[in-house]
Amino acid sequence: MTGLAPAPARVGVASAAGRIWRVNRLHAVNPWPSLILPWLITGVIFGLTYAIWRLVASVAGGLENIDDNAFQYGGGASWILFYMMVVAVQAMNQTFRFALGFSVTRRDYYLGTALHFALVSVMYAAGFTALAAVEQATSGWGIDGAFFAPGFFADLPFAQVAYVYLMLFLLFSSLGAAMATVYVRWKSAGMLVVFGVLGAGIVAALWLITVAHGWAPVGRFFTTNSIPVIASWSLVVSGLSCTVGYGLLRRATPGE
Amino acid sequence: MTSIIQADALTRRFGRVGAVDDVTFTVDEVGILGLLGRNGAGKTTLMKLLTGQDFATSGTARLFGASPVENAGVLRRVCFVKESQTYPDSFKGRHVLAAAPWFFENWDADLAMGLAEELKAPLDRPIKKLSRGQRSAIGVIVGLASRAELTFFDEPYAGLDAVARHVFYDRLLEDFSRHPRMIVLSTHLIDEAADLLERVLVIDEGRLVIDAEADALRASATTLTGSALAIDDIARGHEVLNREQLGGTAAVTIAGLSEGDLARATAAGLERSPVSLQQLVVHRTRGAVREEIAS
Repeated sequence: MTGLAPAPARVGVASAAGRIWRVNRLHAVNPWPSLILPWLITGVIFGLTYAIWRLVASVAGGLENIDDNAFQYGGGASWILFYMMVVAVQAMNQTFRFALGFSVTRRDYYLGTALHFALVSVMYAAGFTALAAVEQATSGWGIDGAFFAPGFFADLPFAQVAYVYLMLFLLFSSLGAAMATVYVRWKSAGMLVVFGVLGAGIVAALWLITVAHGWAPVGRFFTTNSIPVIASWSLVVSGLSCTVGYGLLRRATPGE
Repeated sequence: MTSIIQADALTRRFGRVGAVDDVTFTVDEVGILGLLGRNGAGKTTLMKLLTGQDFATSGTARLFGASPVENAGVLRRVCFVKESQTYPDSFKGRHVLAAAPWFFENWDADLAMGLAEELKAPLDRPIKKLSRGQRSAIGVIVGLASRAELTFFDEPYAGLDAVARHVFYDRLLEDFSRHPRMIVLSTHLIDEAADLLERVLVIDEGRLVIDAEADALRASATTLTGSALAIDDIARGHEVLNREQLGGTAAVTIAGLSEGDLARATAAGLERSPVSLQQLVVHRTRGAVREEIAS
């Protein structure tokens, strides 16, 4: 028997963009955990929140007895940010080892995974913004409630609501991905060190700001800048997380 | 011609332990290669190094003439079915089979479905709830249906029963004869797989101790049974791999006997029997009986 001839190059399979796109699809081959379940849970949380609003209104003896902004502040929609973080952690931890078994390079895996979470972030940001628009159009679901655009969101144009949501989704998923790569690379020992260093870093930063009398400028940053500008600064953290995650994953092994 | 696999002084250390220690070999022709050795001998680590899943401490691995590490051009021609392969928690067998063709361009979906039926692999239950054998079946399906030019099977049938294992052997041979390609099969069930193997690599404590054609390896030793005195006479100057004696009768496995030695054995009324691959590997890797009989 003779040796193998070089395989014919097939269009698509060989291209880097095609490979990265396939990793993105791999994350969605079972759409349940990252694309379907979050909507269902959001629906349930919204339903419960709405029921509580109605309950409060009925106990108070009608909507007219309630303060104007009583239902304007709630964190019900924020659960999904933490959920996306968990999804990112699981994806890195479990899909990485699986994808390597499917002959995917670490580079293609990471870029495809980043693409997937970017697309998921866009989808949720668009969906939540659309629901915020419905919320406004229905005068807060008929009872002046704010679930999808609570608090400061309420005053923003929808384009900005979408942008801030996108920044938040990107931030939480890249933080989750970065933490998961630490785990993939060094297991729980790595996590302990990272949380230790992170904790020390935060305390040191607080201390530095205090001794440098920096709280006034910090406060000014948040009061003088618009919300989209503040949200844009999260890109620094997101970008840093992505870079660190990439650096760590390039030398990670799938373990046992 | 580029080699299919080329390992050159390939070494992987974990601390001071050499999991793979200075392994050098070349595979130029397609066929079924057995990678044999005891548990913990370094078979899995060697395959991880060859597929870029782990990083060599020193030495080089080349597949199709290039390093496999982070090399998509090489890896897309490779499939590595690992015994310890894990799957995302949310995955069912059908998700694995749905995604496989995106990564293995020669994927044969019909073959995959046929195998799933034959191996009774449940495709609609979460993989994390499957038994070990059922999980192995998923790996076997991926390995065979991917039809990659170079496929590594690492103990592919842990937990599979004898029937399922024979389905695997049969389908492997059948598919191999129709689509010849390079198969590396690591196993400790040597006797079962022996007939499939054309070439054998034996790893012991990280080192490559045997690299031989299976037939040549089988012919390299013979077991003589009969009078202990007569056997010892013939064994003199040869490597004795194994020796069992009861009274004046002995069964001795001897390496490197010449035609003349064998003729003498027959003349002395000794019984000759072939040595199985498994016996040879066991004798070569346990390092117990290796006395040279002084001449």
